Amino acid sequence: MNGRRSSGGGGRGRSSQGQQGKDGARRPMFRRRKVCKFCAEKIDDINYKDTKLLMGFVPERAKIVPRRISGTCAMHQRKLRTAIMRARQLALIPYTSE
Amino acid sequence: MNRKYELVYVVSPVATDEQVSELHTQIESVVQRMGGRVEKTENWGRRKLAYEIGHQKEGTYVLEVITGSGDLMKEIDRRLKVIDYVIRHLIVRVDEDEQVVERRRSKRTEVSRRRRVARGLPPERQPGEGQRGDFDDERDEDHFDGAEDVR
Repeated sequence: MNGRRSSGGGGRGRSSQGQQGKDGARRPMFRRRKVCKFCAEKIDDINYKDTKLLMGFVPERAKIVPRRISGTCAMHQRKLRTAIMRARQLALIPYTSE
Repeated sequence: MNRKYELVYVVSPVATDEQVSELHTQIESVVQRMGGRVEKTENWGRRKLAYEIGHQKEGTYVLEVITGSGDLMKEIDRRLKVIDYVIRHLIVRVDEDEQVVERRRSKRTEVSRRRRVARGLPPERQPGEGQRGDFDDERDEDHFDGAEDVR
């Protein structure tokens, strides 16, 4: 018993929670922590003219990458959205890919 | 009340270079007449459009930075709407955003200076410094993530 617990605890500590763990969602052990690109690189203004930067957030379907995937913080996601929408108006960035 | 605006307009490739420069002088005269000033003009040249506009695949982009009143920009907006070889235009007020950015930047440098001085370091960051520290931070955060998973 003791041996079991120690081996489980070394991995993820599931053995103590196994009974009540209803969701049972197995997450990968080491997920890289996402950080907001703009906070990390200290990019202060997200400009609609900077197509190279914006294109990183509109993959081939030309939809804006959601926050939960890109890891952008709320404030920067808002700024990014307005910048992308402005760039789209000027045909610097596509609305869709046909 | 002087505000700073950015105006970008896209001219159809059908228009000649003379028409583009004529448009620029026309805007300039409107700006001067209504007590504004053209701070900067940038011609980005002919660029490919991200999508077709009126069967055109290219356009000439011109950026103008203008200080003036809101009425002035309204007038320019009206004129650009009328001219049919301008296929797109965008006016954005920029002075307030620039101030915010400036404030944030100065605050950040000031904070980092103060912290560095408190730790007995020179106020400016030395070249080749701090890489190892960053790496350690990242590893710590990964560890934290794992702890959250358990709970």
